[in-house]
Amino acid sequence: MNTTFTLTRSSIKMFLRNKQSLFFTLFMPVMIMVIFGFIGFDNVPKIDMGIVANNPNQPTQQFIDQLKQISAFHVTTGTLDNERNALQKGERAIVIEIPDNLIPSLAAGQGQPAPQLTKQTITVLQNVGQQQQAQTATTILSQMLDKTTLAISQAPDLFEIKTEDINARNVKYIDFLLPGILAMAIMQMSVFSVAFVFADYKEKGILRRLLATPMKPYQFVTANVITRLLIALAQTAILIALGVLLLKAHVIGSYFLILLIAILGGIMFLGLGFTISGIAKTVDSVPAIANLIVFPMLFLSGIFFPTSAMPNWLQHVVQYLPLTYFANAMREVMANGAGLLDIWKDLVWMGGWSVMLITLAIFTFGFEQKRA
Amino acid sequence: MNTQPSKNFNGSEPEPIILVRGLTKHYGNLIAVDNITFSVIKGETFGILGPNGAGKTTALEMIEGLKQMTSGEINLDGLDVHTHAREVKSRIGVQLQASSFFDGLNLKELLITFASLYGRTADPMELLKKVELDDKAKSKVKELSGGQKQRLSIAVGLVNDPKVLFLDEPTTGLDPQARRNMWDLITQIKRQGKTIVLTTHYMEEAEVLCDRVAIMDHAKIISLDTPFNLLRNSGVESTITFRADKMCPVEHFASLPAVEKAVKEDHGFRLISTNPEETLPALFLHQGDCQFKLFDLQLRQATLEDVFLKLTGRKLRE
Repeated sequence: MNTTFTLTRSSIKMFLRNKQSLFFTLFMPVMIMVIFGFIGFDNVPKIDMGIVANNPNQPTQQFIDQLKQISAFHVTTGTLDNERNALQKGERAIVIEIPDNLIPSLAAGQGQPAPQLTKQTITVLQNVGQQQQAQTATTILSQMLDKTTLAISQAPDLFEIKTEDINARNVKYIDFLLPGILAMAIMQMSVFSVAFVFADYKEKGILRRLLATPMKPYQFVTANVITRLLIALAQTAILIALGVLLLKAHVIGSYFLILLIAILGGIMFLGLGFTISGIAKTVDSVPAIANLIVFPMLFLSGIFFPTSAMPNWLQHVVQYLPLTYFANAMREVMANGAGLLDIWKDLVWMGGWSVMLITLAIFTFGFEQKRA
Repeated sequence: MNTQPSKNFNGSEPEPIILVRGLTKHYGNLIAVDNITFSVIKGETFGILGPNGAGKTTALEMIEGLKQMTSGEINLDGLDVHTHAREVKSRIGVQLQASSFFDGLNLKELLITFASLYGRTADPMELLKKVELDDKAKSKVKELSGGQKQRLSIAVGLVNDPKVLFLDEPTTGLDPQARRNMWDLITQIKRQGKTIVLTTHYMEEAEVLCDRVAIMDHAKIISLDTPFNLLRNSGVESTITFRADKMCPVEHFASLPAVEKAVKEDHGFRLISTNPEETLPALFLHQGDCQFKLFDLQLRQATLEDVFLKLTGRKLRE
């Protein structure tokens, strides 16, 4: 016990003095969180619309101004050639060519019969690459034209939409991002700090030197595992504090459950870290092996964007990744206030992954350099 | 071959602390250690000398309980190493060949950590003083020179106040100055009554430090004795060269005791003697007989290097 305690204390000192592991453990996740948090993906991008009108009469100009005020559009005006070029470069979703006399001047006074109307044609160029935006824009455009038609023909409005603003608690992007970044940070720390440090200990013969003492190998492994689980808890506290204070994230779930998930995720990925240091023959081969496994998970496990944005077949695959369960459970608790009953499936899967990875680690990891 | 020493230094009955019998290690078809038998006496410094690849380190690591033996028996301080490896490890101190230590700890913290591995508390400053590293207590291992690293390694080996200290090539890779320092340190530890077992491929080191030396070659012990006996009994000749101010027939020198061969050279004579202690007094007496005076007298005595060459037909560092 005393041995494990002293070893743990030494191992914490070593971890905190290692600038490289501190960088991967804290600095990098904080940096990524802050950058993505400030970019903010909450605002839906506007539809780029080009309007071509040479010399519109006054009512037509009013119509154009109305178009410009619609918040879903980002409107630019120019000549047909310019706008067509811009569309071809992908800078416009849609280009609308509006005839000068789209809407006739109602020069005559009130009570006069409607003037003779001729059908006007609006030419619309749609960007095939942004079909969805172009179609939305076309729909809005035709609605406005319908309304104008009715106004000119002086028909009464038969329908009215009454809107009311309600303040809802919407899950903002930072609330989605923070649990993901937290899971990512714990994974990075667990995998890299163990894989690098133990491969290094093995290569330098430090583990062998330890074997020449009466220490039991499990004592050394335990000390290192305890160290990293404590670091995982520190990561959780620091990232949540920064997310809440700096980026106004909301954490509504149970902190006890959050810490429990952090520990379980830590154990799961420590198993992976020990496996990698067992497979790696030298320290130099650690980053290749570790990144091969860790890097795809960063993008496939719903850390930065929901997996629902992926094609169906891919969703079926990525839902089984250990990081997916980890990030999911964390997010359900932090952002949606889920309880143990809501996330038990995720926890069971994480437990299963832990058992598998630890078993693999037991088979691959040894204190001595394997003889060729 | 005298494998059991007859007397301890103070004349009491020799008390073995390590008994090795029929120790053998196979790696597949390769035989690294081939049926070696010897014992180490409490308080002595025992050297295993041999070229690289002779099996010294493998033998040492089996005794330390770090490597499984293929067959044989090792008893250390009354314990069977095979069945009581952990208990044996707690009674010995080791310095492994090319072992390094945690980079993130300073020397003081490192010694405290290692003491905890033995379930002990140690006085790190006293240990560091012993190896003259007390001024480096707050330094990291990577800031130490090669010699300092080896001295640290010895301090770590002493952290559990071991009964036997094992040193695997303690001076390999050190410059001559650092090597002398290391010899002084080992001599000091030896004076405190610790049993030391060391391997080396430096003859001089074995002669300076060891009470007894086992010479190993090709996985076997080919000779085991005190350095003095190894030299005397090996039949390796010493060379005496000198000049004389007056001529004296070379046959006179050839008939001096223990002289195997006498040669007249350009500026003097060269005698090959199997025992210079007999030849030299007779040579001085002969000055009076033939009325000449010796000058430029030189004696090159046989070294363990020569013994090894004689035993194996090869040089030690090939």
